[in-house]
Amino acid sequence: MSAKVLLIDDDSDFRAAVKSLLESHGYLVLEASSGHEGLRMVAERKPDVIFLDVMMETTVEGYGVTHSLRYRDEYAEFRNIPIFMISSIEEGPDERFPMSAEVEMIRPDRYLTKPLDIPKLLQLLEKAVGTAKGAMA
Amino acid sequence: MSEFDAPERVVVIDDDYAMRLSCGKILAKMGLPAEIFEDGARGLAAVAAAKPAMVIVDLKMPGISGMEVISRVHEIDSQIIIVVITGYATIDTAVQAMKCGAYDFLPKPFSPDELRLIVNRGLERRRLALESQRHEVEQTLLKRRFVTFVSHQLRTPLVAIHQYLDVLKHLDQTADDPLRRQEWLDRCLTRIDELQNLIADWLTLARVEGGTLIRERVKVDLNRIISEILKTYRETAAAESVSLEDRLPGECLFVCGDRNCLSVLFDNLITNAVKYNKAGGKVTVSGARSHGEVVISVTDTGIGIPEKCRPFLFDEFFRVQDDGAKKTAGTGLGLHISKRIVSEMGGTIEVASEPGAGSTFSVHLPAWREPDRDAGSQNDAEQEAITDGR
Repeated sequence: MSAKVLLIDDDSDFRAAVKSLLESHGYLVLEASSGHEGLRMVAERKPDVIFLDVMMETTVEGYGVTHSLRYRDEYAEFRNIPIFMISSIEEGPDERFPMSAEVEMIRPDRYLTKPLDIPKLLQLLEKAVGTAKGAMA
Repeated sequence: MSEFDAPERVVVIDDDYAMRLSCGKILAKMGLPAEIFEDGARGLAAVAAAKPAMVIVDLKMPGISGMEVISRVHEIDSQIIIVVITGYATIDTAVQAMKCGAYDFLPKPFSPDELRLIVNRGLERRRLALESQRHEVEQTLLKRRFVTFVSHQLRTPLVAIHQYLDVLKHLDQTADDPLRRQEWLDRCLTRIDELQNLIADWLTLARVEGGTLIRERVKVDLNRIISEILKTYRETAAAESVSLEDRLPGECLFVCGDRNCLSVLFDNLITNAVKYNKAGGKVTVSGARSHGEVVISVTDTGIGIPEKCRPFLFDEFFRVQDDGAKKTAGTGLGLHISKRIVSEMGGTIEVASEPGAGSTFSVHLPAWREPDRDAGSQNDAEQEAITDGR
């Protein structure tokens, strides 16, 4: 069975490009265009990896999704799904929230800058899926 | 807990036992936690550890002098208010202490009231300083967020284009798909247009803010300007199955303004009315003169604007995000620019809307007033500009 990747991003063009890329490498790609839709998809489809945009309807929507997935009880069973945060903004969570003691609570597994570097992305994904599958076995 | 909620602590340093004890008592009665010390070294250690709001220090002490305490305290925290006590209240020593950074001084002997007064004043001054500092930090943060937001807006289309081309290159190595390539290249061109529009709007906004957008104030017939815009939009509107209805009156509607700006303004309103309409919908433009004003209304039969969004409609980068709204390209600057243009010309713009049924944008502009006969040659020159132009 191919690994499921959930792509949460409000730019449909960006999703279309990444979806075709990942599908050509054998992944099953699910799409969501907002944080809300993304959370619903996580609960319904239980993806193996999540790609998560930072700035959607609000400028920190992606962080809200990360926080929900890591700390809210109703998402407890999805707590260990790797989250790759993706943004055109080069400021990661530490630079974005320099004063916040809670930054640990919203730190994703990886923070990647758009446009995504294809070879690096495929490599990271392979590793993450391998680990996720291994943990499940 | 923020600095504002924390109790304001006071450190008293005086080698005179009775003096430091009574200061401590008065402060305690004021509800201020006070620590008392008999020499500069111990006092400074406590200041470094506790970062008090205020230090009250005797100028003349054995060991570290009061003057030195002042500068060392400010090295620890420049926001700490320092009040000096002196038994030798010459103007000289007081001035010297103030020069070193003391807030005020109390000559011995002093009454409890005098101490209370100076302490309250000093603490109030510190609160104000902290508040203005906090305000400054907030402003800086706001500016930084704005820059982040704008750079995100500019990068988003570029990222989409880059990603499309990059993936196309990657996929072409394995499976060539001409249909997909065609579709993606079209999308790239659309996104480039989007970026161009954003930059154009951004520049217009910069001109509005720099006060250089409005180049002339001449007699302009809105009837003519709007009719021309409607003519250029017929085709675009027809392609979206939207009909345009010109209900402007037969007479001229003269206002005083800049022809180019007025074109931008009504172009924005009519574009929006077409863009946010429904298939089979209608855009109606009407105009009238009343009470020294010219009122132009642009009415659409589109998706409407939710009530909660209306207060922010004219803010820069605000876009209505609603589940019912189709995804429409736009920069989020059009209405902001329109409002700026209207107010530059001394007018107002307002919106009435019913979600699902449509919206009406009404622009009120002061009507052109014929100058007095003896007003001189400048007006003649303006009149000429009107006959020459357009």
